[in-house]
Amino acid sequence: MSSDEIFGLVKEKILEILDELPESAVTREKSLRDLGANSIDRVDVITESMEDLEISIPIKSFADLKNIGELVDLLHRTKVGGTA
Amino acid sequence: MEKVGITGMGVISAVGLGLEAFSQALHSGRHAFGTLENYPDTLSVRLGAVLDSFSLKSWLPQQETICEDLRKKAKKAASRSPLSVQAATGAALEAWTHAGLIDSPIDPQRLGIVVAGNNLTKHVHYSMAPKFQNDPSYVPGRYALQFLDTDHVGTLSEILEIRGEGFTAGGASASGNVGIIKALQMLQLGLADGCLVVGGLTHLSPVEVQGFSNAGAMGGKQFVDQPDQACRPFDKDHEGFIYGQASACLFLETQSSARRRGRAFLGELAAGVMLLDGHRLTEPNVEGETRVMKTALLRAGIQPEQVDYLNTHGSSSPLGDATEMQAIRNIWPQKTPWINATKGITGHCLCAAGVVEAVATLLQMQQGFLHPNLNLVHPIDTTARFVPEKAINGEINVAVSNSFGFGGINTSIVLKRAN
Repeated sequence: MSSDEIFGLVKEKILEILDELPESAVTREKSLRDLGANSIDRVDVITESMEDLEISIPIKSFADLKNIGELVDLLHRTKVGGTA
Repeated sequence: MEKVGITGMGVISAVGLGLEAFSQALHSGRHAFGTLENYPDTLSVRLGAVLDSFSLKSWLPQQETICEDLRKKAKKAASRSPLSVQAATGAALEAWTHAGLIDSPIDPQRLGIVVAGNNLTKHVHYSMAPKFQNDPSYVPGRYALQFLDTDHVGTLSEILEIRGEGFTAGGASASGNVGIIKALQMLQLGLADGCLVVGGLTHLSPVEVQGFSNAGAMGGKQFVDQPDQACRPFDKDHEGFIYGQASACLFLETQSSARRRGRAFLGELAAGVMLLDGHRLTEPNVEGETRVMKTALLRAGIQPEQVDYLNTHGSSSPLGDATEMQAIRNIWPQKTPWINATKGITGHCLCAAGVVEAVATLLQMQQGFLHPNLNLVHPIDTTARFVPEKAINGEINVAVSNSFGFGGINTSIVLKRAN
């Protein structure tokens, strides 16, 4: 699975959770917080993406990520490499 | 004590979304009983009237009478919420609009909210189990909010800007009336000028459906293949309750607040009483049911013969119906008021039932009719004044509505036509 495919999946989750957000607003450079996601929304983007990707990463590993790009990279690394 | 009445109501039910559709269903006796297609076919009973296809997100855009700002807030706060919260939001928005609270508001700090019911989102709990078993990290963060019934309180207080008291009040199948009674007391104590009472849609998972069935409380035995025949309150062939889904809302207000806002009462809530039998089981009790109706009438200053109409608990349970009938006869040994059972049309909406039935009572009072008793072919009491299988015209000035719950919880409320 490519990084772009994972970005697509994460974007889909974000648009579903943050209603009325235009698709173009979701870029790798932006953070979930920038897009208006509250703490619960941010966790839900992560847990739902992990579930779809059938991977498991401890939630605390996401705490220091700066933007959606870094989130996608972590998910991608785990999906491809098999471990977090 | 200051008079309290109802100035707004709303309902999202399997038999109709909104007051108009619900009222038409009551008139015509249009029920929604069928097979519970979304429940596993391994269940002993799969009958009910459910709201499976309701989505707040698709319902909101059609509600042009509800102001756009409220609809926007509701969409943001609740479109991904559990079915119970979505239905409660729909009913609350309708009641809020009906009460004219947009054009003539009440100070948010003088507004309260009581959500009637406990364990409203069991289906959400159930749907988390496979996620958890697959991998605990797949449990979404929102579950920490959504497993709590108070998610209703938080969500509705955010949408409607309610800043006074807010809580959930439970009493099993009597929850709806418990909520109404607690809101009445809040207003009588002067803690608020208006209070939204929400009858919570009780979203059972397959586990609870089977539990009710195994406890012998659910119908659908000889009528297992006839969903339209299975719910028959006060009929000799009744065999247990049939599950229904709804959320309903009342906006209760003090007389001085309603006058200040130039709103008329849709009906006065003359009294509401809750009394216990002192046991923890499923059995109803004639003494307790008699006592609660008697006390409610006494507190309302109403003589039994002044009551025109009784909205029964009438759940289609053989023991429950017989017990309630005996209690009715203790109070009205000769001529009874007109009697019907809303659960015959809506199914048993469990925690919401009391509020659904208060809405049904007020609609009948306003529109001058009495809704039919579906499937009442051989009444267990042949001389009681049951409404027949078709609606009839009737003027209601004083009504009593009963709700009884497991664990010996008895409640009655008295509603009076507004002067």
